[in-house]
Amino acid sequence: MTAKTPILRINALTKTFENFTALHGIDLNVDDGEFLAIVGPSGSGKTTLIRILVGMDEPTDGSVWLRDKRIDVVPANKRPTCMVFQSLALFPHRTVGQNIEFPLKLRGVAPAKRKERALELLDTLRLPRDYYSKRIQQCSGGEKQRVALARALAFDPEILFFDEPLSALDYRLRKTLEKELKDLHRRTGKTFIYITHSLEEAMVMSDRIAIMKAGHFEQIAPAEEIYARPKSRFVAEFMGEVNFFDLVNGTASDVTMSDSAGASLAGQTGTLTIRPESLRRLGEGDSADLSFEGVVEAEYLLGSRVQYRITLASGREMGVEVLRENAVPGGVGASLTVGCDLKAAHLIADAQSTEDTPNAAA
Amino acid sequence: MKTTRFRSGLLVAYGVLILAFLYLPLVSVGLASISKARYLSFPIRRYAYGWYEEAVTSDTVRDLLIISLKVAGLVTILSMVIGFFGALAFARYSWRFRKTYQKLILLPIFFPQTVLGLALLMWFNALDIVPSWKTAIVAHLVWIAPIATLIVSIRAFSFDAALEEAARDMGASQWQTLREVTIPLLMPGVTSAGLFAFLLSWGNFPLSLFTTGADSTLPEWLFAKMVSGYSPLVPTVGMLTVLTSAVLVLGALLLAWAIRRLRPTD
Repeated sequence: MTAKTPILRINALTKTFENFTALHGIDLNVDDGEFLAIVGPSGSGKTTLIRILVGMDEPTDGSVWLRDKRIDVVPANKRPTCMVFQSLALFPHRTVGQNIEFPLKLRGVAPAKRKERALELLDTLRLPRDYYSKRIQQCSGGEKQRVALARALAFDPEILFFDEPLSALDYRLRKTLEKELKDLHRRTGKTFIYITHSLEEAMVMSDRIAIMKAGHFEQIAPAEEIYARPKSRFVAEFMGEVNFFDLVNGTASDVTMSDSAGASLAGQTGTLTIRPESLRRLGEGDSADLSFEGVVEAEYLLGSRVQYRITLASGREMGVEVLRENAVPGGVGASLTVGCDLKAAHLIADAQSTEDTPNAAA
Repeated sequence: MKTTRFRSGLLVAYGVLILAFLYLPLVSVGLASISKARYLSFPIRRYAYGWYEEAVTSDTVRDLLIISLKVAGLVTILSMVIGFFGALAFARYSWRFRKTYQKLILLPIFFPQTVLGLALLMWFNALDIVPSWKTAIVAHLVWIAPIATLIVSIRAFSFDAALEEAARDMGASQWQTLREVTIPLLMPGVTSAGLFAFLLSWGNFPLSLFTTGADSTLPEWLFAKMVSGYSPLVPTVGMLTVLTSAVLVLGALLLAWAIRRLRPTD
């Protein structure tokens, strides 16, 4: 990503309801042309945030800037932004064409011009042109998504917001549309801000991911960094299964360290995070920076991979995921040793130790 | 197999009997209207159609018709408007006294109409308003507008709030949102409310009796003539009243059907 000027700036934004604070003075800059995903569990404040950004709710405090114009004081219908709703909000009493033309009609664009643009957008969204006169009720779930997108693009917004529009679709269709959406972002060059509770969805599409928790951002970073170097246990867990080991002054129970690993972790305190898929089986004579001995408790087949739940010496459990060809012979009940390199593990330093999270690999 | 057929036959017979029980009185009114005899008596020995001619040409009947149509027509239009906005307040927007409003609106419907009529008459007197067909409109509205509101509310409850927000988001002003989204989506509810309002006002007797003053609507006249001065003109006008309602209902259904048929091809 090259450095660009921010198109959207959020400044100390706070939203308080009667006896509940949904947003705690959050800050965020969004680059022009960026695809930003805001991810969080339900109740984390992401919907409140997007509603404030498009103008359907008012912030209690703070400001929102579009380039150099303050927009949190501008009513929703005067903002150059547009949102694709979770329910899509397609008008059931209008045809596909009339839905797409709606924002143009409001602007007083001539009917012939409107139709021309609507047909162009049907092409862009890869919908047949004869859908123009189809009724919304006659469209399938995926087609409705495309119509909603076409309508939002007809508005030609500076920023396009999405409020979990894919959440109601089945898995395969969702996967297809995720890729289409990413492709559409590339082709239009517009700024997309996408809200979802699925980090997986965010990973596929976005340039950067903002993880939200209880009204603030836990971490804002490119997908790769969120995955490899989560800033907190919350982010690490949100990303999928993960094993945590408490590291106190360079030692952790259940973890056997090689001399070099012991040296680089010496004196450090925090949480050592290890993804199940970073671990590999260690045979006789194999060594690793970090190793663990345990007994297979359960075995789950995941197609090309196998996942194990193993019990370590202290009785705590750990997840291990290996390729099918490296499956543990004997399965449940077998003893095994697994390990990983230090650079595959990530240390989340305790909040009080340092402001900057030191990476175990560094 | 045989028993099922027997049972379904029994059910059909039962249905026919119920319908006959409900509709035979209407048929008897119809028969009475074409009887030549001056008094109500069965079986009818001689038939005549002169009373229909009399009804169509009579000035009294024409005046009655005009008053009834004026009252029902205005009640319909006002109920549709009140019902539309009333339903938005009832079902769509959250505001401070919404719960209270939702309960209060049911009150006139639970009142016996005669009591409501009497109360309104006393109220008009207290305000020094001379009762006429105009005060009857107010009386009808007190009872019918809440019903219209409830009918439109059913539609308003199934309305996705995001539709209005989406329109706003795409740049629609409040008036444009109302015109482009809210009104078209609530229209089916408003139309049925209007139809109900007309039928309820057109056939209303107790409220009209108390509040029309010197004016008289068709149901009032039917009752008055039944009490004293019966002639076959009474069942004749009765039949014409029923026919008016029937034509209106069928016309509305036909219109709805035609709109549905025409829409997909736009």
